[in-house]
Amino acid sequence: MKYLLFLGFACSVSLGLAQQQYILSGKVVDGDNGETLIGATVVAPALGVGTLSNEYGFFSIALPALDSVEAVVSYVGYQPQYYRFYLRSDTAIQAALSTGVQLQEVLVKANSYREQLSSTEMSVEAVSTKEAKLLPVLLGESDILKTIQLKPGIPSGSEGTTGLFVRGGSSDQNLIVLDEAVVYNPNHLFGFFSTFNTDAVKDLKIYKGGFPAPYGGRLSSVIDVKLKEGNNQKFSGSGGIGLIASRLTLEGPIQKGESSFIVSGRRTYVDIFTRAVNRANADKEDYTQIPDYFFYDLNTKLNVGLGKKDRLFLSGYFGRDVFGFDNAFFNFNFDWGNATGTARWNHTFSPRLFANTSFTYSDYQYNITNRITGFSFRVGSNIRDASLKSDFYYEPNNQHTIRFGANAAYHQFTVGRLKAGSDDGLVSFSAGQDFAGLELGVYISDEIDFSERFSLNAGLRLSGFQNDSAFYAGLEPRLASRYTLTERWVLKASYARMYQYLHLVSSAGLALPTDLWYPSTRLVKPQRSDQLALGVSYLLGEQYLLTWETYYKSLDRQLQFVDGAQLFVNDRLEEEFAIGRGEAYGLEFSIEKKQGRLSGWIGYTLALIRLSDFEPVSPDGRFAQESEGFGAFSPIYDRRHDLSVVTLFELSRRLTVTATFVYGSGDLRWLAPGRFTFQDIYGASFEAVVPDYQGRNNYRLPPYHRLDLGLVLHFFPKWGESDLSLNVVNAYDRRNTFFIYLEPEYETVDGTDGNQIQIPTRISAKQVSLFPILPSFTWNFKF
Amino acid sequence: MVRLLFLIIISGVLLELAACNLEREVDITLPEYESRYVVECYLEPGQPISLLLSRSAAYFEPFPQLNEDFLGKILVDSAKVAIIYNGVEIPLENRLIINPLTQKVYNYYSSAHIPYDTINPFELSIATKDGLSIHAATRLLPVVPIDSLVVQFAEGDTLARLLTYITDNTTRPDYYRRMLHEGSLDSIPVQDFATDDRLAEGTIVYGTRFNYEEGDTLIATIFHIDKAYHDFLESLVDATGANGNPFAQPSPIISNLEGTANAIGIFTGLTYDRKTVAVSR
Repeated sequence: MKYLLFLGFACSVSLGLAQQQYILSGKVVDGDNGETLIGATVVAPALGVGTLSNEYGFFSIALPALDSVEAVVSYVGYQPQYYRFYLRSDTAIQAALSTGVQLQEVLVKANSYREQLSSTEMSVEAVSTKEAKLLPVLLGESDILKTIQLKPGIPSGSEGTTGLFVRGGSSDQNLIVLDEAVVYNPNHLFGFFSTFNTDAVKDLKIYKGGFPAPYGGRLSSVIDVKLKEGNNQKFSGSGGIGLIASRLTLEGPIQKGESSFIVSGRRTYVDIFTRAVNRANADKEDYTQIPDYFFYDLNTKLNVGLGKKDRLFLSGYFGRDVFGFDNAFFNFNFDWGNATGTARWNHTFSPRLFANTSFTYSDYQYNITNRITGFSFRVGSNIRDASLKSDFYYEPNNQHTIRFGANAAYHQFTVGRLKAGSDDGLVSFSAGQDFAGLELGVYISDEIDFSERFSLNAGLRLSGFQNDSAFYAGLEPRLASRYTLTERWVLKASYARMYQYLHLVSSAGLALPTDLWYPSTRLVKPQRSDQLALGVSYLLGEQYLLTWETYYKSLDRQLQFVDGAQLFVNDRLEEEFAIGRGEAYGLEFSIEKKQGRLSGWIGYTLALIRLSDFEPVSPDGRFAQESEGFGAFSPIYDRRHDLSVVTLFELSRRLTVTATFVYGSGDLRWLAPGRFTFQDIYGASFEAVVPDYQGRNNYRLPPYHRLDLGLVLHFFPKWGESDLSLNVVNAYDRRNTFFIYLEPEYETVDGTDGNQIQIPTRISAKQVSLFPILPSFTWNFKF
Repeated sequence: MVRLLFLIIISGVLLELAACNLEREVDITLPEYESRYVVECYLEPGQPISLLLSRSAAYFEPFPQLNEDFLGKILVDSAKVAIIYNGVEIPLENRLIINPLTQKVYNYYSSAHIPYDTINPFELSIATKDGLSIHAATRLLPVVPIDSLVVQFAEGDTLARLLTYITDNTTRPDYYRRMLHEGSLDSIPVQDFATDDRLAEGTIVYGTRFNYEEGDTLIATIFHIDKAYHDFLESLVDATGANGNPFAQPSPIISNLEGTANAIGIFTGLTYDRKTVAVSR
């Protein structure tokens, strides 16, 4: 590693001596609204050099001193900008690209793939908010997190949910960051909707492997969500009215071209109807009240220019799901949600050195309160972070892009905090655990272009975690390389070691908002993964990019609950843990077409994940005493084949037709292969059928497949734009399996004492599906 | 409570799904299953010894019909069963017993009565006719008395609830089985669950909803049980509860039986206190 870095620096020095060079640097923005453009290409065609704008829109490229240097700044879907310089000093520009008639369409299309081909980055997927808004979705609520599930290697969880199981990783192994603040639970309504309001999101990118050194803390993926910065050119708004929710986003300049704001909100309104139904039926004796449920979220961001070299961003997110049930004797409330805040400062030290420093705050909590006359009960869990992070981008020359930085996050955990008691004070009990931990990371990486054919991104991250009872640290080497075989064939390879110090402790069933985040402790050691990925990309013509990737990932210290675990309000939770290992491997293939009237992609994944060698965390736990343990098994999301076909067809300026088709091998479920009859003691109920569960996740559900269709009618009124989005989810009414249960049927016979008794006669398997063919519509507007 | 909440939600969802025809019967093939011996034996002080030895079955195996040898298809005969107490082996005879009071069926029986001995262990030994063995051991636990039963009426209402108070020994971990019957012990219990004293600070109170009217008779029972029986009951609840609840984690049955037979079931002592109250203001 050191040798490579040294070699890189040595090359740069020798090149620097050859000819005087100056730096062209600056920022690439959308000329219509001032939003920064990430990954825009800046090329000097005659010199054969180029670079990309970084995640903050900043770029820097060294060019030789010449009387006439031409540079082109381009970004997919935008008209390229041409610049000609008399280059005798470092020069800074702000390239404002605009959409509209694409005179150089071919160039822009080609560039979009050339960027991917020339980068060392692999195992990265991105979707645009435009795609997310056009594609058909459940109940018309566009959802960028669900759209990303259509990419290869990212199988979703159960039907309709936003759970992500990236390359065999569990759902807690995804680092989800919103404007650099961690989002611990990205779900509303048990995962049917994500917390990300598409109107407020600018960009979503997911790393499945080949993780850059700045990222750490999770094993399987990094999902980087960036909020829009706000239109700094003019006041504008957008929103939508759907079947279950409405959205409104307002944005505009505070100081034109310099500073802006954005505010975006969303709320469901099913509760308004259910309350009306409850009121209308309040007098009926047998009427069972419908519980209240709604969710909402709010995003805000301020983007303030502080001169030419500094920019300050303040952003925040607040979202809640609220479930309530209230009658004369029973008052039950359950709410959960995230809050995040980010203060971010961009500073350009010099054309070669750019820095981003951020302070973030994250909070995820759930609270359950219940009051039954004379008694009250309150339980909740919470994870709260305060984090400081600095990232530096240093480009000494065109052959090196060096990134270095550090971060520190202070975590506070409240696990299963319970308080319950009677009003008269006779009964009172409480439980819960509090933890704190400090997570640290420091990293350096260098993207080195050894030649036009070969480049390498070598990085090293040192991470650590400290809490009261333990300290852990680990070195995380990261490598990613590209070798260009021909103009059209590119080989890529990557290796990444990751440590994860926080663990989401969830049951073997589907995820719930009450799943607990738990820190590494003396007994619960950090999770670790090593992932090796190899890839081949081929540019077919100028329109199609084909990518094959294969990966192997070893997973150490994976956490599971022991059999019969007591999950709820348990001050000795560690006794319920077992730790084992796993391995995942697979092959992913995709063909993608980004531009033109017909666009979309086909993705296919062949994958396998296996967990094994589980041992009790606590030597005193009941797992050690009473269970024979569980052998090797696959998690429920072990999906052998996963295919997705996504098409968007722009029939005319006014009409876009979309379709998505997904096919996947069935997930696994844990079903009991046997049963027995349990008589029990006098006074107890006789159980005619008790399931005898054995090996975990022993039954594979039938294959899953679904076709969703969408039709988007675009309108162009004088005040702006609007569209009517018509969706048909599950177009051919496939009854996909949500879960299966086994139901005994009984016959009533007369007993010896004259009582009637029920005798089981047969058992049937019942399949439950979540939704049939489901049409919906949403009206969206923009002004 | 959370489990209950999701159970309510799932029940609601199932009703909705049934209405939308989203639930249907399917043919599935479950993994191979090898039948296991099932043991139930509760040692109750002052009572004769009864044991039920039966077999489990593959989930879809047809149930025996009433007009055939119904019990013979379920029960396992010809095993050598004995309880060892204070070094003395008490053999259990293989014969069908139906307790006329409890209507419970047992196929191994001894008229020897269990002494109220909370010190010495009781051991179980079973040798099946196919040469397999089942062993277990347990102790009787001291009775934990019910301190009081308190009937409380809701303000301005005719409905009442019952509070059952016990005093927990805070110096040791204790486990209880709580049962509540309305009218008689033959009825389906209104409440039946196992608890531990992890959260208790001396007094434990078991409550009910405001469901009872003046004149109702309520029978409260507190069994003082051991950890093995508690875990067994919890695993039973988890196993039955997970069938139909996709959010739940299933549990294999956690038995306290050992031996080559890989049997499931429970061998435990049964000590309890029971009080009856008539609901009145």
